[in-house]
Amino acid sequence: MSVLSGQINKQKKKPVLQRIKQNRIAYVFLLPTLLAMLFLHIFPIMQGIYMSFLELNQFTLSQYLLAPFVGLDNFYKVLIDVNSPIRIGLFEAVRNTVIYTLLVTVGTLGVGMVVALMLNRKFFGRSLVRTLFLFPWIIPTYVTGLLWGIMWLKEGGLINVMLVDWLHLLPFKPSWLTGANTIWAIIIPTIWRYWPLSMLMLLAGLQTIPEELYEAADIDGAGPWRKFWMITWPMLQPVWFILILFGLISNTYSFNIVIMMFGFGAGFPGEWGDLMMTNIFRNSFQLWNFGTGAAASVLLLIVMVAIVNVWFRLYKQAEEVR
Amino acid sequence: MPYYLRKRLTDLSINIVMLVFLFVTLMPIGWMLFSSVKNSTDIAIGRIGLSRNIEGHTEIHWENYVDLWKNVNFGLYLRNSVVICGTTVVIAMTLSTLAAYALSRFKFPGSDLFSNAILATQMIPALMYLIPLYIMFIKFTMLTGLPVKGTFWGLILIYSAFFTPFSIWILRGFFAAIPVELEEAAKIDGCNQFQVFWNVALPLAIPGIIATGIYLFLNAWDELMFAWVLTNADTMTIPVGIRLFVGNYQNRFDLMMAAATVATIPVCIIFFLLQRYIVQGLTAGAVKG
Repeated sequence: MSVLSGQINKQKKKPVLQRIKQNRIAYVFLLPTLLAMLFLHIFPIMQGIYMSFLELNQFTLSQYLLAPFVGLDNFYKVLIDVNSPIRIGLFEAVRNTVIYTLLVTVGTLGVGMVVALMLNRKFFGRSLVRTLFLFPWIIPTYVTGLLWGIMWLKEGGLINVMLVDWLHLLPFKPSWLTGANTIWAIIIPTIWRYWPLSMLMLLAGLQTIPEELYEAADIDGAGPWRKFWMITWPMLQPVWFILILFGLISNTYSFNIVIMMFGFGAGFPGEWGDLMMTNIFRNSFQLWNFGTGAAASVLLLIVMVAIVNVWFRLYKQAEEVR
Repeated sequence: MPYYLRKRLTDLSINIVMLVFLFVTLMPIGWMLFSSVKNSTDIAIGRIGLSRNIEGHTEIHWENYVDLWKNVNFGLYLRNSVVICGTTVVIAMTLSTLAAYALSRFKFPGSDLFSNAILATQMIPALMYLIPLYIMFIKFTMLTGLPVKGTFWGLILIYSAFFTPFSIWILRGFFAAIPVELEEAAKIDGCNQFQVFWNVALPLAIPGIIATGIYLFLNAWDELMFAWVLTNADTMTIPVGIRLFVGNYQNRFDLMMAAATVATIPVCIIFFLLQRYIVQGLTAGAVKG
């Protein structure tokens, strides 16, 4: 095979075998990682995909990969069959995950951008303020879930005490951990936890923008708003491209904050608090529907790959236009 | 209004907005620390100040921390977390430094495929690995008699493999930023490929390696799902221990907040000792892409 492709590439490059030989040391450096990834990424992921075609539940778990092969039945249960147990709450989980991912990604980027702009000035105590702003980011996410779970409490929670007793913004104490408010109860802590990282990266990006661009804009008489959208934002493109990419991925797979906030690690987050990960986790480890859980994970993976591809393509197009 | 005065005023108002926002940002953390020395009823009814006892002295319940230490085997969890996260960082950083160097310096058959595979691993939901790994561990024990589930090594192996791709991705930027001329000069002086890596590239990449290592440590410290399923009572890490504890003491808000504080302190210490590196390192990696 390598000989064949070597012949094809002859006009452009050296033969593959020769290139492999030349770069032997690179393969030696990569070998440990390749082995680790083979055994702990590729091997399990192939089993995970295969599992989605099996009738795998508490009765057949001991047979594992020899469990009855049911073809696309699990996918049918997830996508089409309205009466299958996994469909309970699935629509809500998908809806919440979409809202949650979009709002958290936009929110962390927005707050991070505003604070980065505020910090990108000269003032006394700048590095101290920057360090203090990083604080939420070092709080572990499970602590974030736990802490905000108590802050959202109806009677004694800090949020309601502030909103109602101190500021009198609301006439009554709303219940944050039940009903439709739950989606805010998980979005706001997540933004709180993650925006400092966006801020740090955007701030670093801001410091690479040459001052002359702004001076030129000043001469042209551009206002601050126009300067931001015409200079700052486009110049930060490499930073926010990465931030949005990883924001979309990590928020879709968010787990810790939700699982620790409701019932403190054991409860059901309610139909406005449930996310894909908590939903599949519950199906797999509390209802023992491993097969359908795997099918849902595979579908989620496909959607994720599609989203990332679209994002890369959009970015490439935007770059070409520029 | 003259220009400089207007600029002064704008600056001042931005500073005020910033400080107010800083206060709001830090308030949950302050509240966590403060609540950890209150009594549980005060938290539940929303009394923000400390309550006074009969003699009129304010009550500061330092004994919450003693209670916590008695009720939960926190020392054990702390040790487990430190051992698992520390070893993970060492292994994952070794693997990813080697791999990142190879990817940033050599263009070899398969290098594009490998780079894409690294990004692709980030897209896979962790839950997909969890069940196969869980069963693989059990099967391995059945075949060889060596325990894996519930041991340090099981979790360390998984964490190392999981955090390696992302740190390769960050580290590659650092190695790419090191001028190739330095390495070529070393080669002319008679260093072989490995010596070039060890004596030239590695020392220059140390700040990036430290930053990535800390980032990894924070992530490993934060991992709940795998630790939940794959540890037992002896190897439980802090997140799992706290989850169990919190499930058992549903209305002891004071103890929950004490537990949350204790779980946060170790990462805070690490962060403040090394924050210079994190700020430099992560931002450098981000800008270079």
